[in-house]
Amino acid sequence: MIAFDRVTYTYPGATQPVLRDVSFTVAQGEVALVVGPSGVGKSTLLRCLNGLAPHFSGGTLTGKVLVAGLDPVRESPRGMSRHVGFVFQDPEAQFVMDRVEDELAFALENAAIPLPEMDVRVETLLHWLDLAPLRARALTTLSGGEKQRVAIAAALASHPAVLALDEPTSQLDPQSAKEVLAALARLNVELGLTIVLAEHRLERVLPFADRLVYLRGLEAPVVGYPEEVLPHLELAPPVAVLGKALGWSPLPLSIEEALPFVQKMAVGEGEISPAILPHGGFPYLTTEDLTVVYNGLPAVRGVSVALYPGEVVALLGRNGAGKTTLLRALVGLVHPQEGKVRLGVRNVARLDVAEVCRQVGYLPQDPNALLFADTVLDELYITLRNHGLAPEDLTLAPETLLARLGLADKAQTYPRDLSVGERQRVALAAILVTQPGALLLDEPTRGLDYEAKQALLALLHEWRSAGMAILLVTHDVELAAQVADRALLMEAGQIVREGTPGAVLATTPLFHTQMARLFPGKGWLTVQEVLRYVTSPNGGIAPRA
Amino acid sequence: MKDRKSILLSSLIYLITNLVGLVGFFYPFFLPLLSADRAQAASPWLMTLLVGFCFVALLLEVQGDALNARFVALLGVLVALNAVLRFIETAIPGPGGFSPIFFLILTTGYVFGARFGFLMGALTLLVSALITGGVGPWLPYQMFTAGWVGATAAGLRVFRLEGRRGEVALLVALGAVWGLFYGMLMNLYFWPFAAGLGDQQWTAGLSWIAGFQRYAAFYVATSLAWDIVGALGNVLLLSFFAAPTLRALRRFRRRFTFIYQAEAL
Amino acid sequence: MIHATAWYIWLLAALSVLLGTRNPLYLIVLLAEMALVVEALYAPTGEKLRAPVAPGRFALFVVPAGALFNVLTTHTGATVLLRLPEAIPLLGGPLTLEGLVYGAINGLSLAALFTAFTVLNLAVPIRDLIRLAPRAFYPLAVVVSVAVTFVPTTLRQIQEVREAQAVRGRRMRGLRDWLPLFMPLLIGGLEHALQLAEALTARGFASSDAPFDAPRDQGVRYGLLGALLLLLTGGLLRLAWNLQVWGWLLMLLGAVLFGWALRRAGRSAPRSTYRRIPWTRADTLITLGAALTVIPLWLRAGAARLYSPYPALTLPLFDPWVGLAFLGLTLPVFQLYRARVAAAGAAL
Repeated sequence: MIAFDRVTYTYPGATQPVLRDVSFTVAQGEVALVVGPSGVGKSTLLRCLNGLAPHFSGGTLTGKVLVAGLDPVRESPRGMSRHVGFVFQDPEAQFVMDRVEDELAFALENAAIPLPEMDVRVETLLHWLDLAPLRARALTTLSGGEKQRVAIAAALASHPAVLALDEPTSQLDPQSAKEVLAALARLNVELGLTIVLAEHRLERVLPFADRLVYLRGLEAPVVGYPEEVLPHLELAPPVAVLGKALGWSPLPLSIEEALPFVQKMAVGEGEISPAILPHGGFPYLTTEDLTVVYNGLPAVRGVSVALYPGEVVALLGRNGAGKTTLLRALVGLVHPQEGKVRLGVRNVARLDVAEVCRQVGYLPQDPNALLFADTVLDELYITLRNHGLAPEDLTLAPETLLARLGLADKAQTYPRDLSVGERQRVALAAILVTQPGALLLDEPTRGLDYEAKQALLALLHEWRSAGMAILLVTHDVELAAQVADRALLMEAGQIVREGTPGAVLATTPLFHTQMARLFPGKGWLTVQEVLRYVTSPNGGIAPRA
Repeated sequence: MKDRKSILLSSLIYLITNLVGLVGFFYPFFLPLLSADRAQAASPWLMTLLVGFCFVALLLEVQGDALNARFVALLGVLVALNAVLRFIETAIPGPGGFSPIFFLILTTGYVFGARFGFLMGALTLLVSALITGGVGPWLPYQMFTAGWVGATAAGLRVFRLEGRRGEVALLVALGAVWGLFYGMLMNLYFWPFAAGLGDQQWTAGLSWIAGFQRYAAFYVATSLAWDIVGALGNVLLLSFFAAPTLRALRRFRRRFTFIYQAEAL
Repeated sequence: MIHATAWYIWLLAALSVLLGTRNPLYLIVLLAEMALVVEALYAPTGEKLRAPVAPGRFALFVVPAGALFNVLTTHTGATVLLRLPEAIPLLGGPLTLEGLVYGAINGLSLAALFTAFTVLNLAVPIRDLIRLAPRAFYPLAVVVSVAVTFVPTTLRQIQEVREAQAVRGRRMRGLRDWLPLFMPLLIGGLEHALQLAEALTARGFASSDAPFDAPRDQGVRYGLLGALLLLLTGGLLRLAWNLQVWGWLLMLLGAVLFGWALRRAGRSAPRSTYRRIPWTRADTLITLGAALTVIPLWLRAGAARLYSPYPALTLPLFDPWVGLAFLGLTLPVFQLYRARVAAAGAAL
């Protein structure tokens, strides 16, 4: 179905090719997973499938691409649109119409498909992706997962044989992501659709994959069955990491595949590290019985929390649980109906937002809303100017801060030319340049690849040791397990559980890490924790550390 | 040969439609000279109809046969942004007459060219009329004029100051002119309706000068103050924001104007 | 749901009646009836952006304004109310009752016109208004569609950017502080546009490598030019030489040719339409009612139709048959009311 033969592709004006000698084949009905760090050419590879590269982006392509027997370069994207459906990262950026049905019909109208056939096709699409109940809804009223399903249905409108998806779940919360991937798996099984998927949250998609294409930048790509490629991957999901450490073969791709190995092991009782809550000093930020009404509904109801210097607190909860509203209330962007927010001893409601934010850094979900200057360094100076500060007032010069964030060589770059991870660090720098004592992060790992996530983790550890109070809103349980000292679980506007990450995460099935699911009831969350108790490569029990 | 014919036809369409558009605004001054003894009650409507036809023809010519995906997407998104700005203008009762829409029409017209500028102006008015429920007989006139605003901004390129210091000053000047002129043209359109020019009891024998005087009175009474505020608003917006906006638009222009050409084998 | 075409016919009928008469009594009746339709339409639609000025309030403003402007600038008429010194330019001279009434009629006519279009704006959903565009304008219809779809996203982004910049310590001190709001919006929009362009291309919308000035169908251009010339000549004949019949004829011919040219242009973009609204008996009724409104005005009311207060004020005539026929415009009210009762019944 798909054949790449020594494909090399260079963007216009670039000195280095982004794809170098890539060769692989995908048979009909297979799911191929394209992995690799960001900026390595995953998106470009997908765009070669339907001729967007080079027709849309320019550049030179050598080698041979064949998709459904056609050469995309010769056919152009218009010709390929009947054979390859394409789904992009951000579902909203692909919509032309404002209603579900109309969006599905758009491509059909465009191709002048007669009405009776169009009706049949729209009904089929609605059925395939379970969208029938949503057919007359406005797209703006849908959740992220529903939107992405509409985008997939729209891409399938012309009945293509191949569906290419460019990180379709990176902007979604875990439930929505699961929903989208389940739909894809069904399409693959029921329709025999060939799927090519770029993704960096491997733990979710590995179980479906028939084939892996691991792009490594300058090194030659590794292509093959997942079991063959997985040992090469540095960014494997936790089960695979554990499997590698314990010498399991073949490497498990999912919890299900790992269970037989676990059953053969005699696993001793783990001990959860006792809840040492660092409640030594005076809290930096506190809420007292906070209630916030947002859009006419109580989004936060009677929340009392405290954030202490030198700790990382993870705030977990489903979409719409009120996490973001709580963060916004903490810095005074929304005003509480009842209760108070205190910054030290001062009431936040009495302070200017700007004044609060000089002491409490708040990074909103979308870093793009912050950035608008011509250079990265300018972004930092704009914040300083806003606060009426001069660089001389600071103990940490803006240039040094950039260097700490690994952006030293990007100081003069246009922020919008950077990758998602880099943009986010620029936004962080623009927030942190005033050296606040607390930092509130809203979904900071959304859209980040493994390396960017590790970089962020390292920074969080460093700042915590320096005494910063950090509150982290996240869906990423693996991250929370690795970094948090304390976890809060929010449901319907209330804090329903609070304690060490082990206590909170291990007892809430929705927020189990892979290790917690593999070893239920033990209270182990990360591979490191498991390895502390289980080190024998043959599956024996290790002596207690 | 065929190319020359095509250019000739295209130019003729541009010429006629724009000329009729202009006449459509200024005809109230000529009408008393032309009509002999019976003026028509429907003459403002006749002109609305004619201008409407011309506008549709012009729009078709500007649209061209091959609007590509980039053009459509860029225009659609910028029009939405501008229409929202206009909505904010109508929602917040600020200083009367101030309208932020001309800022983007002028800057995009200047950066992306006359065709883009014309459509940007015309469609901004159309889309904001659609979302705020302002569709009416005035719409073709508004679209026509706003289109001219964008197209004239592209005309500033003849000064070859792109990327240099003087360009903002040029845009500011054009913004000031259009701030005054746009209101004046809209009034010209509205005037025959308001003044009931069709009635022969007094239009007969009303001289060109008298007609002009009456319009002047109408204009001064109803909108001069607003238009001055509008012009001032354009001047301020452009002098503060034009430079960074032009920089941002130019950064993206490269990505939007790329056309792939298959290499010769 | 009343069909969009039925509404267009309704509007056409309303406009031709409105433009055909200067009788204030007729105008008042028409205004009241159309205001009734606006009232019936207003309740069920929940779109908050589309909330125009109420017709009554508009009339209260525009009628006195029209009267005042006319009385101050026209100085003909028999019944002199007041004399301003001739020395004042333009305003100086006699102020007459006739001038006052004439101006008020102007205002009334405007208010009725405004109300007729308010009905259209309220009654027809945005999507159906876009779909009215001839096929020749398909690319622009897509632009408008993209824009309308992007508006709610833009509104949400304004909120996000406002908060993000507040968090960075932005304070409103002057005009320059709007820049941090505007620039992220603009740049975000440009980035969005680039992604959308790619998505459109991938969905086969238009080949991005089509040359911008592809060879055109010259027939369309000849047709358009011919049509415009016919229309203009026709208009000129009517305006300048008072050749009404010839003028109309040429203009009609021009309009037909124009339609042909648009059709021909539309053939280059073949496409089909998914959404359709069924034409019901209620639509037929509304269309017929609207059409019937027009006829009596032209058949029966000679002098009453073109009322003028000049030279000396007289009472306008009122033909009850014409007044009765105007009720044809209120038929949508009953249909809307029935639909609402049915919806309420279904909700129970």
